[in-house]
Amino acid sequence: MIADLTAADTAEVFARRSAPTDALATDAQTVARACHAMAQRFHRGGRLLAFGAGSAAADAAHVVVEFVHPVIMGKRALPAVNLAGDPAAMSALTERHGTDESFAAQVYLQGQPADIALGFSVDGRNAAVLRGLEQARDTGLLTVALLGGHGGKIAEMPGLDHAITVHSDDPLVVREMHVTAYHVLWELVHVFLDHPGVLT
Amino acid sequence: MTLESLYPFLHAGKADVNGVLSDVARSTRDKLTEIAKLRDEVLAADGERIAVCATAVAQRFARGGRMITFGNGGSSTDAEALATLFCAPRSADRPLPAMSLTSDVATLTALANDVGFELVFARPIAAAGRECDIAVGLSTSGGSANVLRGFAQAHDKGMLTVGFAGYSGGAMAEAAERGEIDFLFVMPSASVHRIQEAQTTTYHVLAELTQRALQ
Repeated sequence: MIADLTAADTAEVFARRSAPTDALATDAQTVARACHAMAQRFHRGGRLLAFGAGSAAADAAHVVVEFVHPVIMGKRALPAVNLAGDPAAMSALTERHGTDESFAAQVYLQGQPADIALGFSVDGRNAAVLRGLEQARDTGLLTVALLGGHGGKIAEMPGLDHAITVHSDDPLVVREMHVTAYHVLWELVHVFLDHPGVLT
Repeated sequence: MTLESLYPFLHAGKADVNGVLSDVARSTRDKLTEIAKLRDEVLAADGERIAVCATAVAQRFARGGRMITFGNGGSSTDAEALATLFCAPRSADRPLPAMSLTSDVATLTALANDVGFELVFARPIAAAGRECDIAVGLSTSGGSANVLRGFAQAHDKGMLTVGFAGYSGGAMAEAAERGEIDFLFVMPSASVHRIQEAQTTTYHVLAELTQRALQ
């Protein structure tokens, strides 16, 4: 049996987006500080390494496209790599080191101290993302996390440089706020890069 | 609006980091206001059709259909996220068969190299698409040639076709008028980023309502 749905069903689901959107707006200074720090790393020649699991792997791929192939004409391409994008590498590392080490192993191999690690977790509890960020911190990378729920273990990670947390338990709502957040991160990193006087 | 009016501190001729941070934070709040308004517009225009579309998608799944998703660039990541959402939903929901055509890099590059990029989605749909299946294509401009060819092929196969576009819908709006796209949802914005964000909300809502229709 297929239930009939109406516009009221759609409206009810859309409405769940309102409060988290307003809440992210109140966190705008946190977003601004993360952009500034990321711009400083790019200015030093750093790259962005993005990672996440499930739909967040798609977000890691998306944010990389934003930086490598800007939608706004005239903005320069910046180096970015999606660590979740190669299924052969991912499954090999998972088999060898276990799921929790899949991103940390890549950060260990590829990460340089000037780079930026950007980890996604809609509930803040993804163990592989946490381990990736810990390895990034230990190597000297800037660490940035896009989180949800109550921030989870990742928000409590000692030495995490920037955490943008969407306070919602709905993983889909969190993901939508993350998409807006990384669009903003991309655009505002360029605002800082266009004016190197504020980067030193 | 000029860049100077958006970020006055950057044009004051001095490196005032705190001033720039304030400008950038204000810009962040402006963008969040924009996306909230755009979501409201989509709901007002298409709330009913999203519900009807979810019912139609649920009917195809109930008949044994699969969902096939496709798009380019950022939209390819949306295609992958949408397919993942159906294959691995929240624990209370029912896993449903869905696949993203962009995840198969070997087929994609073979077709792009040997035949042409405009056929990278149409060919796999021609090979695998069945009447009970669902095609979901995303394009911010509404003009991606390979997405349009994918829809035309899916429609020929009798599949249910669902499109997501931006601006005024572009060539996808014309395809919908020709009947090649059964449900087209257009995000009325000129910002690629806001379009993608509103599309993400819309397909998330569509997925949730599809599960609700099946319960």
